[in-house]
Amino acid sequence: MSNWLAEVAAVFAKDWKSEARTRYALNTLGLFALSTLVLVSVGLGPMGVDAAGAEVLPFLLWIVLLFAATAGLPRAFVHEEETHTAIALRLAARPSTVFWGKLSFALSLTWALEALVAPLFLALVQLEVAAPWAFVAGLAAGGFGLAAASTVIAAIAAQARGRSTLFAVLSFPILIPLLLLVVELTRAALAGDAAPMVLRQLLLYDGAVAVAGAMLFPAIWNP
Amino acid sequence: MPSIRRGAAVGFRRPYNPPVPPAPSTAPMVSLSFTGVRRRFGRLSVLAGVSGAAGAGQVLVVTGPNGSGKSTLLRCLAGLLAPDAGEIEHREAGSEPLTAAERRLRVGYVAPDLALYEELSTAENLDFFARLRRVPATRGGELLDLLSLPRGRAAGALSSGMRQKLRWAWALLHRPRLLLLDEPFQNLDTGGEAVVRALLAEHLAGGGAAALAQPVEVTVADDWQVAEHVELAG
Repeated sequence: MSNWLAEVAAVFAKDWKSEARTRYALNTLGLFALSTLVLVSVGLGPMGVDAAGAEVLPFLLWIVLLFAATAGLPRAFVHEEETHTAIALRLAARPSTVFWGKLSFALSLTWALEALVAPLFLALVQLEVAAPWAFVAGLAAGGFGLAAASTVIAAIAAQARGRSTLFAVLSFPILIPLLLLVVELTRAALAGDAAPMVLRQLLLYDGAVAVAGAMLFPAIWNP
Repeated sequence: MPSIRRGAAVGFRRPYNPPVPPAPSTAPMVSLSFTGVRRRFGRLSVLAGVSGAAGAGQVLVVTGPNGSGKSTLLRCLAGLLAPDAGEIEHREAGSEPLTAAERRLRVGYVAPDLALYEELSTAENLDFFARLRRVPATRGGELLDLLSLPRGRAAGALSSGMRQKLRWAWALLHRPRLLLLDEPFQNLDTGGEAVVRALLAEHLAGGGAAALAQPVEVTVADDWQVAEHVELAG
């Protein structure tokens, strides 16, 4: 393994080890996702793909995922700043390895969240997916976009005093395009359409956010 | 007034130490110089044109009351803060001056605001940073033994003196040529201070350099070469 990859892996492994001990992000993500899922399922009941279900449910699924992720993912950076461990990290790791290590951690958390929430959501509202692979591709690509955008926004917000407010303000313009694309893709997957054009747009969004994040991160992370 | 005390046992005090040339046996493995370093935080001017230098085997002593800018100066030297004006030149083994990004990764830094991961054990903390710094995993264990720190105890469960020792272990992990020490003996008992002073002496004897900041008088061992005493006004 190259030195760079080994450093990324070290940051990723450290974040998981810390998370396994504190369970701060896991608890936040899990509790938020489960409570909103229960609310949605109790409020709506089994809607199915007929009626308005196919129109409304993709939005609800992604709103649950988005808010759960944004409640838990920023912790990776905020915790480093609040506990002053960011200084040690700044003095020991290259910014690019910190960025990709944190992004890998956020991505694994997001995908784990999706693996928990999506099947539960489909079961609770009795929704069938006509194009499962397109649905999974939407979850994977949408999860990457969510993790990459959250990582960059959290890195910026963690430097500020009003972290929560700044995170919400910055998230709005960056995550709305992602949400619109991924809902469109999920809606198409429910109807049995792979929607390759939307998937391509989503992948372009993912690439753009990841590349912009990697380029901006050294300036955000260091003076 | 802050001062340097040389030879604590003898009690000999010198309020100011003149610059001492580098020892001839230590080639220019490392050199640090800074001129006219200025730094403001909003309207507050913390550093107003500070200069100093240290070569291989030498200590640069920085003293001054609380709020005089000692920590800010050391952060600027470490590359953690960008000065508003002034030049910082840190060279290693005759290299070109290091950039701020390079300085960050090269220096050893001990400061009160430096913290390690409380949920990880001392050994896990050093192992993580050893992987980042690409040094053998055994180095962390050696330092923990030298500093008499328990390997399996969570960093968050350490006493303040043990935390300070862990900061020293973290700072020495990659065998830096330049040590930046902000109140490095804080919270240490007599035995602990003796150990870290011995580690510092070994670092200097090996051709390393150090910048040491203290709010009050600094007790300087007889075998330390004090390059300069920078006294910051409050």
